Amino acid sequence: MITLNKINKVFADKHQSFHCLKEIDLTVKQGEFTVIAGPSGSGKSTLLNIIGMLDQPTNGTYQFDNKEVAKFSNNKLADIRREKIGFVFQAYNLMPVLTALENTEMIMEFSGIDKKQRKQRAIETLEAVGLGEFKDRFPAQLSGGQQQRVAVARAIAAKPLLVIADEPTANLDSRATESLLDLMVSLNQKQGITFIFSSHDPRVIERAHRVIHLQDGKVIRDEQLQHISSTHSPAAIPS
Amino acid sequence: MIHKLALRNLLRNKRRSCLTSVIIVFAFSMMVLFMGLSDGGHKAMIDIGVRMGLGHIIVQHKSFSDDPSLQHLIVQPNQLIQQIRQNKPELTAVSRLRVDALIQAGRHGVALTISGVEPAKEVKMSAIADQRAITKGKTLAEFPQSKTFHHLDGIVIGETLANNLEVRVGDTVTITAKPASGADLSRAAFVVAGIFKTGLHELDTFWAEVPLHTLQALLGVPDQVSQISLYSLETPESLAHTTTQLQTSFNHVNISPWQTAAPELYSAVTLDAAGMYLLMLIVYVVVAVGILNTVLMSTFKRKKEFTMMIALGSRPSTVSKIVLLEAVYLSAFSLTLGLALGLWGHHHFATQGLDFKEVFGTAMEAGGVLLPDKFYSILDASKLSLSVLFVFLLTLVVTLIPAIRAGHRSPLAATQDA
Repeated sequence: MITLNKINKVFADKHQSFHCLKEIDLTVKQGEFTVIAGPSGSGKSTLLNIIGMLDQPTNGTYQFDNKEVAKFSNNKLADIRREKIGFVFQAYNLMPVLTALENTEMIMEFSGIDKKQRKQRAIETLEAVGLGEFKDRFPAQLSGGQQQRVAVARAIAAKPLLVIADEPTANLDSRATESLLDLMVSLNQKQGITFIFSSHDPRVIERAHRVIHLQDGKVIRDEQLQHISSTHSPAAIPS
Repeated sequence: MIHKLALRNLLRNKRRSCLTSVIIVFAFSMMVLFMGLSDGGHKAMIDIGVRMGLGHIIVQHKSFSDDPSLQHLIVQPNQLIQQIRQNKPELTAVSRLRVDALIQAGRHGVALTISGVEPAKEVKMSAIADQRAITKGKTLAEFPQSKTFHHLDGIVIGETLANNLEVRVGDTVTITAKPASGADLSRAAFVVAGIFKTGLHELDTFWAEVPLHTLQALLGVPDQVSQISLYSLETPESLAHTTTQLQTSFNHVNISPWQTAAPELYSAVTLDAAGMYLLMLIVYVVVAVGILNTVLMSTFKRKKEFTMMIALGSRPSTVSKIVLLEAVYLSAFSLTLGLALGLWGHHHFATQGLDFKEVFGTAMEAGGVLLPDKFYSILDASKLSLSVLFVFLLTLVVTLIPAIRAGHRSPLAATQDA
């Protein structure tokens, strides 16, 4: 599903440059539960941003679903992000003026899914992440863990091929972290959604199928920990 | 969803939205109110002006404006009036003959303008010597012409002139003028039928009216007049059209609107209208700055939300639409409220009138016209609609750049902020 070939990312200004990613070659298959691990400054987030099409590599090629990402316009990139990728951010990034249900519906509405269908799907997704009874609450009325669950619901409600989560457990306590990981593993196993995390949290790493270790912008180790279940299918996402 | 986002974002900072709204409501309602009062004031000025011996449209000899002598009079005015009324039956026509003359009473003499008028018609159209202006005696129409007072015709004169001449109603005065033939001066005696007061110095001190036929006889210009004044109930726009039409049909005479005949009055109205336009400009700036301030503050504080929306796959146009909608809702709400308040004020002044004398303690004169003590608000629907539309479009224009900028943020910032 994802193929990165000789990806480099250099941040430069007039005075200095920083080679953040160096010659990254990476393939991620449908249904993988992958963690990109590494210390701060190793390039995890930058790699995730490139995979999520939020940033462009300085050079190298990136193919998503067998298509060359560099050829896409900004609107096309936005369309792919909306239709095929779900994002879970470290700081939840929910819309404060929308309820949990409306936050979950938002992306589907921008995708043009009709009102009845998107509402039903949003309710089912919120129930799937255990927040059915909190659907009418605004983010400020939810705990950090609950907000992150809403963010997960928002990410998966539109039936994406891939969910990218940048340190999703960084702001959560142990209980909320375990609960969120259980949820994500469950979604991966039952619905076949591909997950790519960036994290250096050992609790996240121990649940992963695959751990890609980054250091100084290079892949230093690619560990395959578990086999991907062949029974997974995105069609299992609530519809 | 984008409508919900826009509305809730406005309500998110109630104080800021309310403050902006209050400013717009106040400014716009004041603009509507002053627009009505200003147009009402102009109408009063024009109405009074055209009734002070002028007319909405003035017909004169081609050369009269360059040389206003008795050699340049309209001959057989009734024939011309008939032809004009065949073309425009809605117009009311009044013939007048004016000449500079000397009025004497005892040892006093004053140079003035004598206006020969048709009393029965004049009393309906003129504000100089009508029933309301006459302070003592009678109007010329009420005065029994050539029946009493030793067969002398009546004359109405201004109050100041009467004081200067030391005459009262029933006294005799002599008018001396140079006849059209250029021969020796002609004289005629008149009985003071009435004394009028318009409040205008020029008229009250240097103006008198006598029957038209008497003045024609005195000057030796039978069936000739200086001008035919046409009165209309049309709007200024259609009046200009009528003037042009008449000028095309009757090109042997000069037909001009009151604006040309009374440039001082026109200047006063124009200057006052310019003041109104300045006020409108201030309102537009207030609305634009108010909306821009709210939108800028709002978008500045919500950078992260916009980048997050773009990161999640919202198109830039969707984010821009949300920002534009916020401005549209804020301005639509404020303008509606401002319009309602302004119309309420307009309704009050349109029905009760604004008593200028009560408010300012004195009557006001503008462009040689004494404004009535009370005048009424008048709103031009098309002008008001255009103002509302303009303010609304202005809102969109000032919001456009912040809206576009909000939609073109890098999605990367969503993760960087995190």
